[in-house]
Amino acid sequence: MPPQDSEQARWFVEEVLPHEKELRAWLRARFPGAGDVDDLVQEAFTRLLKAHDSGPVVNPRAYLFVITRNMALNQLRHLRYERPPNAEEVDPLSIADDVNSPPESIAKKEELQQLIKAIQSLPNRCRQVMTLRKIYGLSQKEVADRLGISVHTVETQGSIGLRKCIEYFRCHGYLAHFET
Amino acid sequence: MNRSSNNFPENPEIEREAANWAIRFDRGLTAEEQDAYSQWLAEDSRHRDAIALYRWGWDEFDRLAGLQTTHHAQIDPDLLAPGNRFARKSRLVKGLFAAIPLAASIAIMVMVFWPDSTPKQTPFASKAAVELIARIEQKILDDGSVIELNRGAVVETHYTPEFRRVTLVRGEANFEVAKDPDRPFVVNVAGVDVQAVGTQFNVRLINDTVDVIVSEGVVSVSAKELLRKGDVAIDEPLLEVGHRAVMKLGDTARLDVTVLSASEMDRELGWQPRLMDFDDVRMTEIVAAFNRSNEVQLVLGDASLKEMQLSYSFWSDNVEGFVRLMESSFSMRAEWQGSSEIVLRDASGNSL
Repeated sequence: MPPQDSEQARWFVEEVLPHEKELRAWLRARFPGAGDVDDLVQEAFTRLLKAHDSGPVVNPRAYLFVITRNMALNQLRHLRYERPPNAEEVDPLSIADDVNSPPESIAKKEELQQLIKAIQSLPNRCRQVMTLRKIYGLSQKEVADRLGISVHTVETQGSIGLRKCIEYFRCHGYLAHFET
Repeated sequence: MNRSSNNFPENPEIEREAANWAIRFDRGLTAEEQDAYSQWLAEDSRHRDAIALYRWGWDEFDRLAGLQTTHHAQIDPDLLAPGNRFARKSRLVKGLFAAIPLAASIAIMVMVFWPDSTPKQTPFASKAAVELIARIEQKILDDGSVIELNRGAVVETHYTPEFRRVTLVRGEANFEVAKDPDRPFVVNVAGVDVQAVGTQFNVRLINDTVDVIVSEGVVSVSAKELLRKGDVAIDEPLLEVGHRAVMKLGDTARLDVTVLSASEMDRELGWQPRLMDFDDVRMTEIVAAFNRSNEVQLVLGDASLKEMQLSYSFWSDNVEGFVRLMESSFSMRAEWQGSSEIVLRDASGNSL
């Protein structure tokens, strides 16, 4: 997993590693049953590096917390462990970080603008679900509670939203980023 | 990067399934789903290409995680709404990072009972049918505010640069107001102005009484229009959470403010349609759930229907949609009995 070039390495050391300690502590506190912390953190780093390698990432810290949480929830469900109480209720603000909030310039990057526009083009409910799931990293359950709709509806709307976004990608050349 | 994906065969059905699987994958598959997923993959080689594309697409959006992350910023589902004032600017992103509270929408619920237009007994079946068919409609206003109109409700909007005024002519409506402090949102109901101040509230007009209940924030109630007619002095209070203001109209206009308990609030505000989730639930129970929330009653005409089980989500007021689904997908036939009863019968030919 070691970063390939020096720029990537610098970015990793400066933007990613500083969050490792907190990520581990948070993971242990929130998901005691979710398997090996080292594995999860390692996997999260790998994914983040891969994402960063193939395009811009708005907020490395938020990215780490969101995908790590998703992996942990995913494991819990798969292992059919009893879900620890509040496991779904991750305080979204634990992801927030004033000190490391993303520089304004980054979201202007073309790829991110396209992702933003894809979400903006969605019908209301789809757009809300995509926004809460992806920008705030909420789980389906949290989205359901916040919007006052059922988890089933969140899932359906997410699926519709994703299909429309892929359609948007098709029409706007974003599929060029997809490597088979 | 390559463009091979552009050759991806577009097949709506496969893509729909791929999208479903990508979402389920993200939240974690159950053991049963794992089996179904393996099966689906094996069915057709195109499924593998499709799921790769859709999982990639879903993950791409993780790049946006934390787009808005300051401790001051509230979670805003409408961060990227077209009506959001930040989204309306061409320089969207500038707004996204400004640490000012974003347009958290305010929801306002307003309900009016017109005593003379909703008689207890509807004389003709056609009337009940019309009311059933007039379902909840959604209206999106220029500023991004959303009005949900319950059956038969009528609103008129009067937007000016200074004011957003909505008149509830009749019926029942739910307002989700795009926040804009410079342009107040006022609902006029029977001459009474109800103004949102970052707020959620309920208004009801019944038998010459306006009834306002606040469930969030602060609401101002003003009866200036009425005061011009009569010469009765009414205080114009700011109502807070849990407050209920009851205003008698007419010659002896007066206003009483009381405080409701949580359970009283729930009872008073429980009129809104709910989404009912049924997961392998027997028809008898589904029908009972609809019957508890609607005047029109459903009856299962054949015993064979009673044991049928169904998994689906319905809005509690969507009797018509439910009946239609039963007719189109579950081989049933619906018969009106009088004005307020629908009998569902087994039309599959298996019942005899």
